[in-house]
Amino acid sequence: MASRAPTSVSVLGILRATSCRPAAALKLQRFYHSYEYTQPPPFQPAESAILSASISHVPSYGFTLNALTLGACDAGYLDVSTNLLPRGVFDLVNYHLVMQRLALKDTVQFPTEGGQGRSSSIGAKIRALTLARLHANRPVIHRWQEALAIMAQPSYVPASLDELAQLADEIWFLAGDKSVDSSWYTKRASLSAVYSATEVFMTQDTSKDFVETEKFLDARLEDAIKVGGFLGAVSGWVDYTGHSALNVLRNKGVRI
Amino acid sequence: MNGQASRILLRRQFLEGGRTRVSRGSERGFSCSVRRYAQQQQPGPGPERKSTQTTHFGFETVAEGVKEQRVGAVFSSVAASYDTMNDLMSLGIHRLWKDHFVRNLNPGRNPLTAPPSSTSTPPAPQGWNILDIAGGTGDIAFRLLDHASTINHDAHTTVTVADINPDMLAEGRKRALSSPYARTSRLSFVEANAESLTTIPSSSIDLYTVAFGIRNFTHKDAALREAYRVLKPGGVFACLEFSKVNSPLFDAVYKRWSFAAIPLIGQLVAGDRDSYQYLVESIERFPSQTEFRDMIKVAGFLVPGKGWEDLTGGIAAIHKGVKPM
Ligand SMILES: C[S@@+](CC[C@H](N)C(=O)[O-])C[C@H]1O[C@@H](n2cnc3c(N)ncnc32)[C@H](O)[C@@H]1O
Repeated sequence: MASRAPTSVSVLGILRATSCRPAAALKLQRFYHSYEYTQPPPFQPAESAILSASISHVPSYGFTLNALTLGACDAGYLDVSTNLLPRGVFDLVNYHLVMQRLALKDTVQFPTEGGQGRSSSIGAKIRALTLARLHANRPVIHRWQEALAIMAQPSYVPASLDELAQLADEIWFLAGDKSVDSSWYTKRASLSAVYSATEVFMTQDTSKDFVETEKFLDARLEDAIKVGGFLGAVSGWVDYTGHSALNVLRNKGVRI
Repeated sequence: MNGQASRILLRRQFLEGGRTRVSRGSERGFSCSVRRYAQQQQPGPGPERKSTQTTHFGFETVAEGVKEQRVGAVFSSVAASYDTMNDLMSLGIHRLWKDHFVRNLNPGRNPLTAPPSSTSTPPAPQGWNILDIAGGTGDIAFRLLDHASTINHDAHTTVTVADINPDMLAEGRKRALSSPYARTSRLSFVEANAESLTTIPSSSIDLYTVAFGIRNFTHKDAALREAYRVLKPGGVFACLEFSKVNSPLFDAVYKRWSFAAIPLIGQLVAGDRDSYQYLVESIERFPSQTEFRDMIKVAGFLVPGKGWEDLTGGIAAIHKGVKPM
């Protein structure tokens, strides 16, 4: 129970299962989001070594084979060692996605319930988490359209959608949504849609500190409530505690 | 019935080795090579032939020492009609598989993107050192060099073609003459057994390729161990080989084709039914994708992802392994 499904294949299996057997899927989903975060490392050591070194070349070289080759050399491997990554540049994109998803729980923390003051509403937390995840794309934002193009390649679409669903689950989970009911599908789907639309918008945003992206995100979140996906789950995105959630983020060095 | 009986008879004769081959061979211009084979076989058991262990030759079980000779005879026999054979076995798509195999390996070091050599570290070698095992006619070697040169603008990567069979090597040398690599230091041919690459130093190779060769080796595990030894840490073992078709229906159809039609066509096109019969059977005997992946792991390699990539529904597969640091 403690560990999450380690491979994307099994996760995909779970997603597939959701379409036909909602009840079983819901059970799985909740196990899958165990409270104990003792998960196996998401990448093998050699893969990690090459990929983490490669990521630092993305700002200059993009999500390309060149970045991978340079990363392999930095990590002490050979050019040819990039063959360890069967999906090539998609593995590089995927590494960024997975690492940034897993980093969310550390970059964003909310005052614990029972602590002094009221905790933020789920809606405000969703907003803060989504924004924090978007901001994690900042160092590579000028390369992000490349990444989107790679994710859109037919053979990588299933894995990319799977990762997007996992991000949505993670955000709902970290926001403290524990409800187990049929609204789970719409919640996941709506947040996935909101997130991807905003992510694309952000690649063209030239405003200072991405304020336009933030506005765009708020508009999409409002839409989501109107359309009904989040109805019942959240009543709004910014309440009086919303500011405190943001302040927490700012204090933690997240530039929002 | 009759056909079956005569096929077995033919094969028996063929397997007896030299003498029958001489007459057939000379008609097809192999007289020299075939005679060499015949001579090699006459002195009787050499030191390496004493083995009493058995192995598979196609579907037959033969003494290990004999397999090497027989495989030799098969490839001496098909050396010139070699492309025809591959076309038949792969339904005509082996060229696409080979292109894909090489493109994915992306051989060569692009001088424009190579990391700048800093003063603290010794300068990295400019190109890759590639070993193409069972490289026979040079098919893979030319592709590797072409990719390195035209895609990665790399004029330094070298390929050593190693094959156990002098006739295949001769065919490769001949073809090399009409390539841009003739008489350059970028391409060389050596006669060597993949199971004991005594002339290749340890940790000297960036990329080890073997295409449609490994199923012919008597000791595949020994060949994998040698691959591991000669590769540099971080170096890659890459194997393109016929494999197990995934869909039962397609498998049935492909088996029908390969067992019934290929030897017959081999007979008509190349005048050599038995060699083609052997090739079909050796494919059927080769381990499945997962078994072979596990053999690669046992040899010490890390495997990328699930360890292999199926081509055309599993008629062929690409397996890779990376030697850990
Ligand atoms: C089907 S051919 C493949 C040629 C080439 N790689 C290609 O893909 O076109 C198989 C080759 O394996 C070689 N071979 C068989 N056993 C071998 C061994 N133990 N060591 C090295 N080469 C071997 C044969 O001589 C033959 O040239």
